[in-house]
Amino acid sequence: MTAAALPLAAAEPVIPDFGRGSTCVRENGAFCWDWVSDHWGDTLRPALMQHLALTAIAISLGFAIAFVLALAAHRRGRLTTPVVLVTGLLYTIPSLALFQLLVPFTGLSRTTAEVALVSYTLLILFRNTLAGLAGVPEEVRDAARGMGLTQRQVLWTVELPLALPAIVAGLRIATVTVISLATVAVFVVNEGLGAPIYAGLQQTFKTELIAAGALCVALALIADGLLVLLQRVLTPWTRVARSR
Amino acid sequence: MNDFTDALQFIADNTALLWSLTLDHLALTGAAVGISLVIAIPLGVTLGHLHRGSFVAINVSNVGRALPSLALISIGVAVLGIGFVNVMVALVVLAFPLMLTNAYVAVEGVDQDAVEAARGMGMKPHEVLWKVELPLALPLIFAGIRTAVVYVIATATLAAVAGAHSLGDIIVDQATYRLPGVLGAAICVAVLALLAELLFAGLQRAVTPRALRLEERGAPTVLLGNPDPERTVST
Amino acid sequence: MKQGTLRTILALVAALALTTGVAACGGSDNDDSSTNGSTQAAATQPGKGKPAVTLGTKNFTEQFVLGQLYKQALEAKGYKVALKQNIGSTEIADKALRSGQIDLYPEYIGIFNTAVAGDSKAYPDVNAAFSAGQAYARDHGYTLLPLTPFTDVDALAVTPDYAREHNLSSVADLAAIRGLKLGAPPEFRERETGLVGLERVYGIRDVDFSPLTIGLQYQALDDGKIDTADVFTTDGQLQSGRYVVLDDPKNVFGFQNVTPIVSTKVLRAEGPEFATTLNEVSRALTTRAMQQMNAAVAIDKQNPADVAKQYLQANGLV
Repeated sequence: MTAAALPLAAAEPVIPDFGRGSTCVRENGAFCWDWVSDHWGDTLRPALMQHLALTAIAISLGFAIAFVLALAAHRRGRLTTPVVLVTGLLYTIPSLALFQLLVPFTGLSRTTAEVALVSYTLLILFRNTLAGLAGVPEEVRDAARGMGLTQRQVLWTVELPLALPAIVAGLRIATVTVISLATVAVFVVNEGLGAPIYAGLQQTFKTELIAAGALCVALALIADGLLVLLQRVLTPWTRVARSR
Repeated sequence: MNDFTDALQFIADNTALLWSLTLDHLALTGAAVGISLVIAIPLGVTLGHLHRGSFVAINVSNVGRALPSLALISIGVAVLGIGFVNVMVALVVLAFPLMLTNAYVAVEGVDQDAVEAARGMGMKPHEVLWKVELPLALPLIFAGIRTAVVYVIATATLAAVAGAHSLGDIIVDQATYRLPGVLGAAICVAVLALLAELLFAGLQRAVTPRALRLEERGAPTVLLGNPDPERTVST
Repeated sequence: MKQGTLRTILALVAALALTTGVAACGGSDNDDSSTNGSTQAAATQPGKGKPAVTLGTKNFTEQFVLGQLYKQALEAKGYKVALKQNIGSTEIADKALRSGQIDLYPEYIGIFNTAVAGDSKAYPDVNAAFSAGQAYARDHGYTLLPLTPFTDVDALAVTPDYAREHNLSSVADLAAIRGLKLGAPPEFRERETGLVGLERVYGIRDVDFSPLTIGLQYQALDDGKIDTADVFTTDGQLQSGRYVVLDDPKNVFGFQNVTPIVSTKVLRAEGPEFATTLNEVSRALTTRAMQQMNAAVAIDKQNPADVAKQYLQANGLV
């Protein structure tokens, strides 16, 4: 590497015509459908799929861990405080900071994003599951035990079904929270709907900002709605209670 | 933890910067909460008093709670451009539903026996509202304000990507401030949120009529589906 | 609810967790399928069998384009490239390189010297700057590959009205303005090719600094929120003619040709063709070409991957 600057190629390189954007796009108009349809496949859809994946993994893992922890804490009350303290601490750190703080440990990768997202869902799901279990009236538990059911049977056939409203409510909150936080993950890995949002912000490109933002909002509302339906399906008896 | 002590050192070394950004942060929060308050509380109280619009009033907070904050800011930048106003509007959209629903549920859910008794005593509707319904509803109204304030403080950290200033400026700029700075600013946001929560919790207790302080107001927590509605995640 | 139903639901959740986990781990970060095999015969696939490399790019348009150019050219030769796009500013990219999270990224020689090597000497020409940078790099386990013909320096831009109003043609003229509102990425504040250099060389002191994410500065300039913005000379937005770029007669902003910085270990592991492929791309990047590509992304809102592909195809590099 003796010469630093490279000699120019013998002929000037060919610069192809990259195609002019439509007038709407060039003027940064309010919303350009043509850009959305042109770039749905290479920009918006991949981002949406990545976002769904990030969310699904975070909720599944978070639920699995929180469920186990909640069952353990329900059995042994002493576990509650330390778990609540640790997860509560994570809760107060702004997600933007937590993502960056994890990078030295888990790198600029999906793993970092997932670790952070799972941490945030843990508190919500743990507390809701535990509160749901704790909220089962003592008389019901006594009655079940009186009928001869073992501890395990009481848990699975009586306590958990009665705790379902609180658990599903927790799932609802956790899901919309993760969908929201996953947009911030763009600071460590260029995936999810945060990517087109951030790209749009870098050029204040209105169409991309609105398209990505609206997709994210729609995703959150649809997920919320589906979980409400799930709640109604799983707990038909609660519908009677609201007799206003 | 090495990083933690570095973060505290950062806070100690940069109090002027942090203070200035905290004021910016509070300005954003104050403006957003103020505007939401002025619209949401009277609206919610009125609807609750008239026992009207329950579907909207209750579900708007479910919708509002689901809205992803960065996505809202994103749309806001497209519509309103970068800067203080855009971020403030996004924050209003996030805070408003919480306050509205709480105000509505608070007034609507006042014990009807008390209302009947008041009417029986000859009070006119507006007297019932001001002398009976509002005092009984205040604690829950304040709970809504409290939740909204903490949520807005947490979300205002994102202002940095939309051209407005807040403590998020440091958190976004790891290049200049490095990890101790990021952690230090994050701690400041957490402390700010905590202080706000304590302040409003105190205010809430102060406005709770003494008789009610002895009871547990359990209903609203079940409504919002979260045993701890004041627990929201910082963004 | 029956015990069986509850068990079934929980089993379904667990299954969902497993399948999404497997599906997610299966895909790699930002994997747009390569344009391999379009024009190359099997013999010219020096990359086959070599370990995969991770290419990083910083947080602005030109970097995205450069990343795609290098990535696609390498993939056409059979190399496996994972792209970590938009990882942040120089400081973060350098950290990622040192910690092995990325193996190479395109850096600007001036920024490398000042921000990474901590060397704020003003070099008479770009070759001298390169030699100095290469010496530092060699000591720290990486190698600078030959420079691109194009240079993309920082510059201060103003609106034509503002330039007329204050009679501005060069950066030196800004020293006379009190409370100059300057918008730039946060790292500009600490840099020799930033506020530090501006103060030292031109005496510009009374500055009201607004940290802005890269890209927002044009909007801020349009809205009148700032008087002058830090821009890059190959920015697509400058093609519009709506901004006046001030001269830098004392060359505070230095030389900023691009050099792919590669970890020396990785360079050796990938074989000599690796560097050759990258150099072939670098040679073809003139200032005009870069400006057009940046404009295609910034103004016509094309995808950087598409723009890069078209450029490489037009010049026989894929």
